[in-house]
Amino acid sequence: MIKEKVTILNENGLHALPASRFVKQAEKFKSDITITKDGVEVSGKSIMGILTLACEKGSNVILTTEGDDEKEAYEVLKKILEGQD
Amino acid sequence: MAKERILKGIAVSKGICQGVVFVYETKEVKILQTPIPVRYLATEVERFAKALKKTEKELSSIKERINEEIGVDFAQFLDAQILMLKDREIIETVSERIKTEKTNAEYIYHEVLDEYARKLGASRDQYLRERVADIWDVGTRVLRNLVGMTHSSVVDVPQGSVLVAHDISPSDAALINPINVLGIAIEVGGRTSHTAITARALEIPAVVGVENLLTKIKNGEKVILDGNRGILIKSPTPGRIQFYRGEIKKEIEYQKMLSPFCELPAKTRDGRQIDISANIEFFVEYAHAKRSGAMGIGLFRTEFLYLTRRGNPSEEEQFRVYDELAKKMKPDPVIIRTYDLGGDKIFSDYHEANPFLGWRAIRVSLDNFDFFKIQLRAILRASVNRNIRVMYPMISTYEEIREANAYFKEVTEELKKEKVDFDDHIQVGIMVETPSAAIMSTEFAAHVDFFSIGSNDLTQYVLAVDRGNERVSHLFDHFHPAVLRLIKQVIDAGHKSHIWVGLCGELAADPLAIPLLVGLGIDELSMSPVAIPKAKMVLRALTVPECEKIAERALNFRCASEVQKFLNRMIAKRFPGIGGIK
Repeated sequence: MIKEKVTILNENGLHALPASRFVKQAEKFKSDITITKDGVEVSGKSIMGILTLACEKGSNVILTTEGDDEKEAYEVLKKILEGQD
Repeated sequence: MAKERILKGIAVSKGICQGVVFVYETKEVKILQTPIPVRYLATEVERFAKALKKTEKELSSIKERINEEIGVDFAQFLDAQILMLKDREIIETVSERIKTEKTNAEYIYHEVLDEYARKLGASRDQYLRERVADIWDVGTRVLRNLVGMTHSSVVDVPQGSVLVAHDISPSDAALINPINVLGIAIEVGGRTSHTAITARALEIPAVVGVENLLTKIKNGEKVILDGNRGILIKSPTPGRIQFYRGEIKKEIEYQKMLSPFCELPAKTRDGRQIDISANIEFFVEYAHAKRSGAMGIGLFRTEFLYLTRRGNPSEEEQFRVYDELAKKMKPDPVIIRTYDLGGDKIFSDYHEANPFLGWRAIRVSLDNFDFFKIQLRAILRASVNRNIRVMYPMISTYEEIREANAYFKEVTEELKKEKVDFDDHIQVGIMVETPSAAIMSTEFAAHVDFFSIGSNDLTQYVLAVDRGNERVSHLFDHFHPAVLRLIKQVIDAGHKSHIWVGLCGELAADPLAIPLLVGLGIDELSMSPVAIPKAKMVLRALTVPECEKIAERALNFRCASEVQKFLNRMIAKRFPGIGGIK
């Protein structure tokens, strides 16, 4: 399991477009993916969950990936959160 | 046989059509709570899954349509809606709760969405609050499919329809297919509503503001829609049908007579060229503009990009639209007008008593640089095609020009730093549509590359008349000497500073006005594509000295009706070839 703090650097926060990119990517992996913010954990494969976290630019979240492809999943998804994809 | 009935409304888009009513229901779906017997629970979950599938199909076809309409991959925002639709969390929760609560799918789905909508609605973030509309967009589609409501989308309107509705939202308006939809009639709205603008852009007749329309008309009824007179005729008599057949035939013959002018140069008899270009709303209209003989796009309105998307499109999305349009029009120029949006269109919780005098257009853009910057960057990047020009709407003060130019410069420096290519000599102009801009045009001319006179708003502001207000709209007349004198002032001021001056309001397409504007020295006239052949025909019958004489005299009358009477007489006398055109 990989579990690390990531700061959202994506210009628009994790709003609809980056959020949909995130979910589309997350769905490609077998691993369980979650995002936690202020103690609330949601599935990284659910756009509604992610939106309700209201991640603005600069907010800190914990990205967790767990499964066979957890390493690749973590790398790809971290980039989206940091606006580097 | 049913009795003929004439329903009156406001004529907002010209033309006549005969078709079958298609009522587009925008009413709310009624959600009832019904207990489900245990042995049917699995079927209920299955029914929910089927509704989701059907909705996904609908959304995909809408996405396809929008992309076609706007020309490029613009409908990415619908991806978010599709993801919301397929959201595992929601599907699992709903399926689970149907089983545990033994309740119907509509009710549970509505409850679950409501919880999410409430969470997002309570967010401090404007953007997230606005996503509530997306949730209900998707949700309503699913619910309609669950309760078996038909006509849930303007996409599947059958051929030969007259679209009837209470109102049509901007995102739905963008989906109207003019091949199937012959005309539009709605209960609400005025000349500047989305429906009106869309109908004019698609060149289909439209009548808006028809009171209690939906109680008077039924799906499948045969009607005639007259967009010239602003009426919808229910169960027309054979005599009426005969009359309108004649009208339609005349219209077709008239268009045939004009069509050879599309190809001809826009020159007066003595050889002065006036650039005749097109005002367009949607990317796809470029084809019609070219076909009609436009020498460029004199006004590309960008509001629809915003309204269709229900939010600011990203730089990339905007760039693709501007770039594609520039490529299609090359080497002819494309003038992109930055957002002319009212504050209420951007911020859902913002309302004002007097929008025309309020926070709109450049005022909103300058107050939200982050938002404005995205648009400027997209325009500048598209300027690598070397035919893009940019124009600011509703400038009223010198400070606004200075500020907009400073922002513009900031963006160009940023692009240079990023080594992004753009046109260093891009022309930057302003709309002259406020009295202050017209009066101060000598001073303003030194800071811009061109003026484009927005005669509709200028008339409205100069005469203090809201043309959408029935009680005063008769006072709106762009031939008012006060308006004409200001136009002269602006053209003279522009020429003194060696910049070109165009006009992009309805006046540009008025056959009576063309000799006058040519006489005043106008350099460019921009109008809806459909008006171009006629404008060319008129222009080609004129000579500059005669136009100058007409202009000189026209400005000295006391009122609009005197000006019109004079122009009518002059045209009948000097240019018999174009007499009687209106």
